[in-house]
Amino acid sequence: MSLDDLILLTGRTINQGVALEGGKASRENVRAAGICAFDADDFKKLDCLVGTPVKVITDFGEVVVYSTISEEGPHPGIIFIPMGPWANQLVNPNSQGCGTPIYKGINAKVEVVKNGKVLNALELIGNLKNV
Amino acid sequence: MDEIKLKIKKNLKFPLEADSITPDNFAGKTIAAIKKLPVYYATKKMTIGDFFDVSGKSTEVGNTKIIMEGDLSNVKRIGEKMTGGEIEINSDVGMHVGNNMSGGKIVVNGNADDWAGAMLQGGELEITGDAGHYVGSAYRGFWQGMKDGVIKVKGRVGIESMLWAKSSKPANKWPTLYCGSADAFLGIHNHGGTIVVEGDVDRCTGADQAWGNIVVKGKVSRLLPSYKKVGEVKEVQLPNGEVIKGKFIEYSGDHTIKKETAGRLYVAA
Amino acid sequence: MVEKVRTVTDVCCPFCGTLCDDLEIDIDLKTDQVVEVRNGCQIGTKKFYASNPSEHRFEKPLIKKNGELTEVSWEEAIDKAADILVKAQRPLLYGFSSTECEAQSRGVELAELLNAILDNTASVCHGPSLLAIQDVGASLATLGEIKNRADTVIFWGSNPVHAHPRHLSRYSDFIRGYFRTDGRNDRYIIVVDPRYTHTAQIADKYIKVKPNEDYELIQSIRAVLRGTDLDVKEVAGVPIEDIKELVERLKSANFGVLFFGMGLTQSLAHHRNIETAIRLVTELNDYNKFILIPMRGHYNVAGANQVFAWNTGYAYSIDFSRGYPRYNPGEFSSVQLLMRDEVDASLVVASDPGSNFPAGAVKNLFKHPLIAIEPHKTPTSAFADVVLPAAIAGIECEGTAYRMDKVPLRLRKVKEAPGESLSDKEILERIIEKVKGKLGE
Repeated sequence: MSLDDLILLTGRTINQGVALEGGKASRENVRAAGICAFDADDFKKLDCLVGTPVKVITDFGEVVVYSTISEEGPHPGIIFIPMGPWANQLVNPNSQGCGTPIYKGINAKVEVVKNGKVLNALELIGNLKNV
Repeated sequence: MDEIKLKIKKNLKFPLEADSITPDNFAGKTIAAIKKLPVYYATKKMTIGDFFDVSGKSTEVGNTKIIMEGDLSNVKRIGEKMTGGEIEINSDVGMHVGNNMSGGKIVVNGNADDWAGAMLQGGELEITGDAGHYVGSAYRGFWQGMKDGVIKVKGRVGIESMLWAKSSKPANKWPTLYCGSADAFLGIHNHGGTIVVEGDVDRCTGADQAWGNIVVKGKVSRLLPSYKKVGEVKEVQLPNGEVIKGKFIEYSGDHTIKKETAGRLYVAA
Repeated sequence: MVEKVRTVTDVCCPFCGTLCDDLEIDIDLKTDQVVEVRNGCQIGTKKFYASNPSEHRFEKPLIKKNGELTEVSWEEAIDKAADILVKAQRPLLYGFSSTECEAQSRGVELAELLNAILDNTASVCHGPSLLAIQDVGASLATLGEIKNRADTVIFWGSNPVHAHPRHLSRYSDFIRGYFRTDGRNDRYIIVVDPRYTHTAQIADKYIKVKPNEDYELIQSIRAVLRGTDLDVKEVAGVPIEDIKELVERLKSANFGVLFFGMGLTQSLAHHRNIETAIRLVTELNDYNKFILIPMRGHYNVAGANQVFAWNTGYAYSIDFSRGYPRYNPGEFSSVQLLMRDEVDASLVVASDPGSNFPAGAVKNLFKHPLIAIEPHKTPTSAFADVVLPAAIAGIECEGTAYRMDKVPLRLRKVKEAPGESLSDKEILERIIEKVKGKLGE
């Protein structure tokens, strides 16, 4: 019910692009960017249905997103979260002196949380305002 | 030596740019005159006296020693362009310490932030803790970085240290870095610099090295594939005359620059 | 028959760096709303539709009072914004990549007035490319030349099917050109990526590289190109035979082009990945014509770099704190400054750092006063202290934008902005006036 030693990649998807132009507070945005795409074989090891919430954890944070199977596989050992608020809870802010954070290639692990709640963009970022 | 003591008296929310703190600027000045030298805090131009308690006396550059106390981890550019004298910093220190210096000595009893000893033209910089990224490197866009002098770091140096180091045989200038261990891209674009690492280094050591010597007494994680093994040696002779004993594997590279290259990387066998 | 819509043709799409300039927009005459978009990609089309009034769009200036965003007059909102900026000791002006060039130059003016830090979104995307180009230069060309000549196209760490949807059909892949009369069949497409992306799925050759090992792979390609026999059997998961085959393929090209994206700039080694890629391209010019183009994300981020550079000498991450521009990404770039908590007020123009910065940086951004010049409700503007509603450049106001190959194109106005929205340029001009008054100039 959990996977270690994964590598997290983030990036643009067309659905994410369409959703963010359509309104970042929308539910559509959650469905487009609040997801984590697994390699098909990796996903079998998780032993859950597509769409089950998973918690993705890196050294820099954690976030609950919906699971899905990647259309751009096979990529065993790699998970993909579209760029946006969800991915940015996990990325490495250290730029190694050049100014650009490390958004890709971060060690991550994943746990299935069947009752996990996937927050929308405003709720998720709102949590950063309150602390 | 004449000593001048600077003790910081404020907590800094923003970085303080103190490029006026050099023996060159202090030499021959009264305490009152030193207190009037400019420093930059956020968007304001202020004076050394606003931030530091100053005491002691100074005469000429080579005979002036500045001793700094208090938390200086957010004070940038100490010792910029100094040509002589000494600075002793008893704290962690901010970015650009000793950048462009051409003579004298700086000792940091603590850690240094990024760009320590950048574009060093001579003199000696010693850091007893760790150093940040770009130690002894060229600033953005420069093709010739550290040209002479010695940097000694007890702990770890960050990425891209000794970027674009440049030696000169006719002028007998051999920029040299000694460090405990190093992050990725140590000695990238090396043009004759000498680097001696006591411990381990991360990936891509000596990337695009044209010529020069890198000696690693520990391990290299992920040696660049464009390096080729030459053989084993029992000692390494450095261009500044120093000899390092021990069994090393000799690699030539970086072969991305030339098919036959004078660049050498020695890794402990 | 009575005309119900008017059609605007040859419209530039203000979404990605491809800056398609052939869109046709139908505007309802009665409501002045977008009712039809032709030729655009999915994302661009959505952007035009989203300009219509909706719950996601701001129509009046807002100020946070007692924790709630409340409607106020322009006068009050501009005064509040100027007040925040003048009182701040180290303000940050960030964004500018999704607006037109004249607004960007007003941003530079404001930054200089305030001795502020000025940054655009390149600092989280193609900044490393700019650093690398500064170090080793670059051989560039326009997209038109690529369309007419390129027979070997590499996409490295870039997925245009998703990020630049019409790039392949307009410039680089399917399009027929003067010397490439058979379009797709006249080109050899190579994709290098850790994932078998949709772009890779339609390519002639897919090279699977391990994440964060691009640098080693390019270095070994360069070494093989120099005629060196490597000691290793594989690099970054790619067998050495494949590398040799790739080198032969690249050498035999007539006109090659390397498009690269975030896969290189946002992974470990950042600008060094780009630098070695540029050098590979330079070295390939010993055999044929080879060029490279960064796949810019925002439609006018290239313009922001141009405008900042011709005004200050530097393309991004500029610090005016000492009264003159200085530049050092990593020291003066937004994310680093926020992570070190060195900023005490921010003005965000046409950008959404709330969504796009790492969480730690966003936390510190929200700690201090925040002004957003923004048409839409976003995770940045929703938590801002002052919201200044903007007309969307390229839809509701005119201007100039630079395509990813640095070709400037004119943006068109197709409709009026809803409510009291003003253009980014006008809002910045009003803030500048107010700030000048407060500074006593």
